[in-house]
Amino acid sequence: MVALALRSLRKRAGAFTASFLSMFLGSAIIMAFASMFDTAEASGATGQARSTLVTMAMVVGGWGLLLVVFAVTSTLTLSVRQRAAEMALLKSVGATPAQLTRMIAGEAAALAVLAALLGAVPGALGGRALLALLHGTHQVPGDVSYAFGTFALGTGVGVTFASATIAALITARRAARVRVTESLMAAAAEPGRLGRRRTVFAGVFLFLAVDEAVVTMTMMRGKGTDAMAASGQADIFAAIGLALLAPVIVRRATALPAGPVRAFGVAGDLAVTNLRRRTAAMASAVTPIILFTGIAVGTLFLQATENAETARSGVAATADQKGIATLNLVVIGMVVLFAAIMLVNTLVAATAHRRREFGQARLAGATPAQVLGTVALESAVLTVVGVGCGTVASLFTIIPFDVARKGSVAPDGSAWIYVGVVALAAALTGLTALGAARRAVRVPAVEAVTA
Amino acid sequence: MFGHKARPAGTAPSAGEALRLEDVRKVYGADGNRVVALDGVSLSLPAGSFTAVMGPSGSGKSTLLQCAAGLDRPSAGRVLVDGAELSGDGEAALTKFRRQRIGFVFQQFNLLPTLTVMQNVTLPLKLAGRRVDKARAREILARVGLGDRLGHLPAELSGGQQQRVAIARALVTEPRILFGDEPTGALDSRSARDVLGLLQEAVRVYGRTVVMVTHDPVAAAHADAVLFLADGRIVGYQTAPTAEAVAERMTHLADEVERQRTSGHVQAGV
Repeated sequence: MVALALRSLRKRAGAFTASFLSMFLGSAIIMAFASMFDTAEASGATGQARSTLVTMAMVVGGWGLLLVVFAVTSTLTLSVRQRAAEMALLKSVGATPAQLTRMIAGEAAALAVLAALLGAVPGALGGRALLALLHGTHQVPGDVSYAFGTFALGTGVGVTFASATIAALITARRAARVRVTESLMAAAAEPGRLGRRRTVFAGVFLFLAVDEAVVTMTMMRGKGTDAMAASGQADIFAAIGLALLAPVIVRRATALPAGPVRAFGVAGDLAVTNLRRRTAAMASAVTPIILFTGIAVGTLFLQATENAETARSGVAATADQKGIATLNLVVIGMVVLFAAIMLVNTLVAATAHRRREFGQARLAGATPAQVLGTVALESAVLTVVGVGCGTVASLFTIIPFDVARKGSVAPDGSAWIYVGVVALAAALTGLTALGAARRAVRVPAVEAVTA
Repeated sequence: MFGHKARPAGTAPSAGEALRLEDVRKVYGADGNRVVALDGVSLSLPAGSFTAVMGPSGSGKSTLLQCAAGLDRPSAGRVLVDGAELSGDGEAALTKFRRQRIGFVFQQFNLLPTLTVMQNVTLPLKLAGRRVDKARAREILARVGLGDRLGHLPAELSGGQQQRVAIARALVTEPRILFGDEPTGALDSRSARDVLGLLQEAVRVYGRTVVMVTHDPVAAAHADAVLFLADGRIVGYQTAPTAEAVAERMTHLADEVERQRTSGHVQAGV
């Protein structure tokens, strides 16, 4: 089965692109920040410089870890679900559930090691850039030189490997449990039910978000810049919590825009039906939109308020504050990039998987334009739902921080920041889905349904 | 059942030509490894006929069906459905052409998995922007024996039931001609008989024209006539087929083709 896993990786590399990219990028981010610890150790930095470096490695790396586990689980689940027919085939020729689990876990583990080793290169470069930033803002003295060592490599490979394997085991258990005939049917109709584990995790993350928000509003009140540390993570927790609830949210939410979407005629009709009947697949597409919007909006407005408050106080920003500001932007840049790649890959994989369905619609008399229209409407609904949830998640950071920093809930910062993030999310979602769908309808319909 | 309400049941419409192929060729592949799937096929099928197309694997019967049904374009030659030439550029034009004239039933049913039985049947009307007469869709579904399954999803139905939904879907637009690509290929013999009975009914009672590709002599025997295809050419025609006669002819088809080819060569050599 391990041999089969390696063979399946080699022969159909395309199917694993999404999982590989999230592992690759995730390990790069983790290693970039973890190398700050190596740097602190190797250079023998002391005092403020050491604590800055170690904090950076632990705290920021921690966010990355969370995102990696999440992204790998969601992409892997998608890729395994897409192979439901293949799993059923393997079972029909006598593969036991344990053998299937070994195959899926084997694929994920091999992929993780490869991704993490390759991720070391951008990880080291990113870490170097990060240190240069810390030098530039005088948070770390210039004589502290960069080191990329065992801690970075160990953490990067270890975390990626562990999260991939855990994700694979969770996914495989679910895939292997389904009986042969059911697996073929499951590919057709999938209800948007929430597993108990998923509900529990969602509850935990939302609780953490509320906790961070309350801590920020109470204990951090009037503590100035320090409030950022606590409030900055609240939007991430909230975004992950809401993303875990995405199947339910998507199902509920499609009831609301059904009217306006149906007004677009048959394409609207089909879009609404797909959103309702394929809730699980649609929810995995919403997930990265929520993360993207929640984290980007939350962090950007957090920084905007901080900048405005510093300016209002009349004193020039300290090196420390400037450093944090730049760091915030770096983190957000990486996280947003990560979420964007995850978004693109989830959508590409999900849309390519629908080639047969598109073919069936075309054979029933749909023109390519009608198929693309349906996809466009679905994307629009997904964007609205994702941006809505993301905005809610961002409030977990913005409001508590504003309360703590200046005693009012109104955020500073231009509305254009928000418009920009939303436009980017909408453009990424729409263009990716339409591009992938366009490729899918280029195949002759008769071929598409037999493939 | 399947016809216009204005037309009294039991009378076939005035005889005319439902399908005409003129020297249709289909060539696949690049110059290096060309495969000639159809090698100059000409035929004419009258309206209200039920024709089976038979031939060994690779004889070009599915290609013939796809070219005739506007799902694929011939490399050369003309296809006329109900007197109108299949033309126009691009998939959208072909789709619009098919919507008005052609129904299609596939071996793998090809119902949309997310749509209910009723939604699947009314989909072609919605896509074509035509008025959706739900009462009529319900009536057709009742006639194919699925009046009580309107809200089911395809995955909840047996293969035979799914194929009956597909037939209802193909007939709801009242097409002049109905194509079937191995419509009984994935069914047990009883479901297959039901499906063939429905196709016969569409022809005999309501004057639709049916063209069906099959490799099953028993299925072919339900048709009025059988066309035999080999190596992309029509090599035989048989009216009032019986399963035995069709099976017999299929068995000797290779010899027949060989004989025709050698005689062709002799003529060419003269």
